[in-house]
Amino acid sequence: MTPISLGLITGLALAAVAIAAAFLPGVPVRSILSGVSTAAMSAAGVFTGALAMAGATGKLVVPIALPLGPLTFEPDRLGGLFMLIASGVGVLVSLYGIVSVHGASASRTSWIALAVFMMGMQYVPAAADVLSFLLMWEAMALGSTVLLLAEHASRRRVSSAAVWYSVMSQLSFLFILAGFAVLAAAAGGTTFAELALVSPTSTAGLTAFVLLVIGFGSKSGLVPMHVWLPRAHPEAPSHVSAAMSAAMVKMGVYGILVVCVRFLPGGPAWSGILLLTLGGLSAVYGILQASVSSDLKVLLAYSTTENVGLIWLAIGASVLLGAYGLTATSATSLLAALLLTVSHAAFKTTLFLGAGSVLHATGERDLDHLGGLGRRMPWTAAAFGIGCLGAAALPISSGFVAEWVLLQSLVHGTRLNGAAVSVTVSIGMPLAVAVVALTAGLAVLTFVKSYGIGFLARPRSDAAAGARESHPLVRVVLVVAAAIVVLLGLMPGPLASVLASVVAEDGARRPGIVDTIGMAGVSLPGLGALLDPIALVILAAVVAVPVLAVTIASALRHPQRLGASVWGGGGERTRPRMQYTATSYAEPVVRVFDDVLKPSRDVEVTHAGESRYLVQRVKFSQNLTDVIEHRLYRPVLSAADRLGVRARVIQNGSIHLYLLYSFAAILIVLIVAVL
Amino acid sequence: MTLATVLVDLVQVLLFAALAPVLIGVTRQVRARLEGRAGAGIWQPWRDIRKLLVKQPVRAPGSSWILRVAPLVLTISSLVLAALLPLVSTVAGRLIPGDLFVVVSVLLIGAVALALVGLDAGTAFGGMGSSRHMTVLALVEPTLLLAIYALSIPSGSSNLAIIVDSRLANPSIIVSPVGLLAMAAFIIAVAAETGRLPVDNPSTHLELTMMHEAMLLESTARDLGWLEFGSWLKLTVLLGLIGNLLIPWGVATTTDPMQVVVGVPAVILKVLVLGGMLSVGEVLLAKVRLFRVPELLAGSFVLAFLAVAVSAMVP
Amino acid sequence: MSNSVFSELIGLSAGALLLTSVLTVWHRSQRASIRALAVQGFALAALVAVVAVDRKDVELVPVFLLVLALKGLVLPWVLARRPGVVGTERVRIDIEDESPLLNPVATLVAAALLGMVAYAVTWPLVASSPSAAAHAAPVGVAMVLIGFLVLVTRRRAISQLVGFLALDNGIATVAFLISGGVPILLEFGASLDVLLVTLILQVFSRQMRATFGDTDVGRMRELRD
Repeated sequence: MTPISLGLITGLALAAVAIAAAFLPGVPVRSILSGVSTAAMSAAGVFTGALAMAGATGKLVVPIALPLGPLTFEPDRLGGLFMLIASGVGVLVSLYGIVSVHGASASRTSWIALAVFMMGMQYVPAAADVLSFLLMWEAMALGSTVLLLAEHASRRRVSSAAVWYSVMSQLSFLFILAGFAVLAAAAGGTTFAELALVSPTSTAGLTAFVLLVIGFGSKSGLVPMHVWLPRAHPEAPSHVSAAMSAAMVKMGVYGILVVCVRFLPGGPAWSGILLLTLGGLSAVYGILQASVSSDLKVLLAYSTTENVGLIWLAIGASVLLGAYGLTATSATSLLAALLLTVSHAAFKTTLFLGAGSVLHATGERDLDHLGGLGRRMPWTAAAFGIGCLGAAALPISSGFVAEWVLLQSLVHGTRLNGAAVSVTVSIGMPLAVAVVALTAGLAVLTFVKSYGIGFLARPRSDAAAGARESHPLVRVVLVVAAAIVVLLGLMPGPLASVLASVVAEDGARRPGIVDTIGMAGVSLPGLGALLDPIALVILAAVVAVPVLAVTIASALRHPQRLGASVWGGGGERTRPRMQYTATSYAEPVVRVFDDVLKPSRDVEVTHAGESRYLVQRVKFSQNLTDVIEHRLYRPVLSAADRLGVRARVIQNGSIHLYLLYSFAAILIVLIVAVL
Repeated sequence: MTLATVLVDLVQVLLFAALAPVLIGVTRQVRARLEGRAGAGIWQPWRDIRKLLVKQPVRAPGSSWILRVAPLVLTISSLVLAALLPLVSTVAGRLIPGDLFVVVSVLLIGAVALALVGLDAGTAFGGMGSSRHMTVLALVEPTLLLAIYALSIPSGSSNLAIIVDSRLANPSIIVSPVGLLAMAAFIIAVAAETGRLPVDNPSTHLELTMMHEAMLLESTARDLGWLEFGSWLKLTVLLGLIGNLLIPWGVATTTDPMQVVVGVPAVILKVLVLGGMLSVGEVLLAKVRLFRVPELLAGSFVLAFLAVAVSAMVP
Repeated sequence: MSNSVFSELIGLSAGALLLTSVLTVWHRSQRASIRALAVQGFALAALVAVVAVDRKDVELVPVFLLVLALKGLVLPWVLARRPGVVGTERVRIDIEDESPLLNPVATLVAAALLGMVAYAVTWPLVASSPSAAAHAAPVGVAMVLIGFLVLVTRRRAISQLVGFLALDNGIATVAFLISGGVPILLEFGASLDVLLVTLILQVFSRQMRATFGDTDVGRMRELRD
């Protein structure tokens, strides 16, 4: 028995233990036992994933009594990477769950669902045939739906979110099923090795590609299939939203990567353009919605759409450049996609768990009611701040490295040996750079807003003023997650080398594409670019010495004086209510992108009795809806509604009518059979 | 990385740290003379900084460590820029080349630090300045990256030192239409990034029109000193970069002492002349309304974009 | 003239043409757009001059003079003229700022995309020909498209005229770059047509402005009464 099969079996066994432990009476016992087992299962997943990523092989065959044969799990290198991501997030999330859940989220159902969800997520990338892939995919979808529903009794919006989520995830499942069916029919088998034999330019291959893009795109929350994301993420319990955003949407990315790298490599240029466009649109739309949102978790959810959009953009660029023979830049884009995936998993876990701690401490998700948490919850604030650095792609976080590699591959993508390759590439790459740059700029604004409004300044509500730092275990989880963000950002070289080997066909490290340089820096020899974050840090430290020396000398002689009022000119006149809020912070952006966001504003002025020149109160309300949802889904939904009303005629409750239907059905079947 | 490189880099950082307040003094003096005032002399910013650094800071009760640390971050980020950019010489450390995306992200770090200072004290004006600052920054980002991208295409590298070198070796790049379009876009982007007219008025006293100044309202003494110094230094190094991109002659391409000796006065001259032109321009220009700024930036984006598309398409 | 200097000069004037085209879209103020148009006229004249010197073609000299006079001086002057005396009173009406149909940022982004379209459609030509003139040809197409964009999105008559003239300049640019100039007679005829159209439209718009100006003044009088 190979270590991989051992790891896979252990994982399944621990999942069973977690499910069994969920039946225990008493919330604390159940939470601890089930949570620890889920974390242990994920730890086994980390082990297996890391081994598979390093190139170890091994398989697990689960014989089950189905007409289709046994389930086969045999993670390859790419699968190992995604297994590692899913289970790494799983460890943190399960530990966080142990202390953070309460009420309905700590019920038996919820713990069982968490175990099923985690198991599904970790075994999707391990699957080696269509059947096991789809089965695990359903386990993942089902588990997460149940988890999302956990708090439906206390909040009304939960059930609406769950309906959207389950409809969208079933639609996505249908498309994936159809795509795999087309592929399997063409290949004559359902194992992944057989599917890879289908020609990428055949009709079957292209049909399957489009179907799978829709299916996996919907799971990744790409525009315009993103509508479930800003509903489901905020309403789910925080640890679940972290797992959904950091790991589950990555399964969509895994799916499309498997399609582009394993099943149908070397697709035509238009397939690259399709992915590039979908990704670019999602990136800009997602970050635009995030930048104007004042609900912390909605903001994070939209930012997930943005990040996944960037990942798809990178994959699309890789396919497009590959189609024109730019192998070095194509491989670099693919590497960028993987780096973005890993780094998003790290910082989005940190951010969602941090947001969960804030929610737990204050009961508020609305940034307009937060503020001043930096001094009340220093650990959470520090971890969240590092997460923000990652999400805003600033040095020295993992997000920065990923975006750097992406931009490098895009700017070097238009030329092959100094000559332009094609007009499509020459237009596509500058556009992609512009999209990435706009996204990066808005991301910085978004996360400065969420950190600055949420954690700095003075509390905007009593709840925020009374916030307490979270449980020590939660702090540990947050610090670990934040440390990963920084570590990945400081040592991109080894990480990039490993990731590059993951997608290489033979699994070998390819020195022509990526190298480790300096202490742990990354170098892209094909593009003549290198980045060594540690050297950059050292440089900053060196130039910081005189600055710090002057500051310390001055601080020793003249300590600060506190107690002066804020911009008061001597009087205590400003109140916390007069501060800028998240809504006002984003107001210029709303104005600039007025035509895209279509906000509806309402100003209501109440005049004092005596004169219309005296204003008693002014009420301002602004409503930002998701334009795509409004324009695209509402008409479809209302059409479906109308159809439903019409269809009610045939179902009027009369038992005779129903019997007539059955009778007619039997007759038709008989007649058809005879013919 | 050789000792000579380190020395040249050190010279460059020290030179620009010393030059930044002088540049501000010169621009203010030129402006004052053009407006018919006597002016405070070109050394006044130096005196201001010295005074601010030894005063006792007064801080708002609700403020956090950001108010103390962010000014240092801004100054350090500007110093890192001074070390990374090809100013006195185009020699660069092996591990820290002046890669343009790294340079832009270091710029962003400083900007973010400033934006957080604006939010930290919890006042309306600070938040307002911070919000506008970040909005402008988000919109400048595409222009800035595309403009540098366009500049990088002729030399085939995203390393600013190599870009300057190749412009020096082949001056026809500078006056090519692509080069001019890209430079125009780049200059507008730099004006927006450093908070100069027509995007932001650095000498305004009206809070409602402030961007940069509004964020500094709560800072005093050494906090204010570092914030001012960091912003000045940022302007100075970016002017130095523009100078070297437009007129690359004089910049040292090796660590040869003679070249460095020429490079130092050359870059000082370029920076001061550009500073003088900047303040002449600022006397003539009016600030654009805040919500017309996106139009300005969109225009410069179009220039940068055309520049990139044109140069990417040349077969 | 050496080849490299020639291509540099062609490139420079093409760059100026493109830049001024973008400027006509960029500026809200009509005065500034007219100024950009004048600069464009000069750039076009410069282009003609460069082509003339390169080919040592004496026939292009009058064309150069014609372009310089008409597009650089006369047409912008006609456009920028203010209405003088209206009725018995002297009404001073400044040329109004433009309030375009499409928001300016969107127009600018559209201009960028049009520039790209121009390059995309002329790609085969550019790729097949090594000459600098052919490389600059997309600029002419881009100017035509951007001129059309101005024509479509602007409300005011003067701005539309600006768009029309930019379009015309674009056509002229393409003509010069690809065929190396048109016969003087043809150029003269086309220029005369353009001048006539501009004059008629200018008179027309002045009449309009005068009418509206009058009504405006009338309303102000009512307010005072």
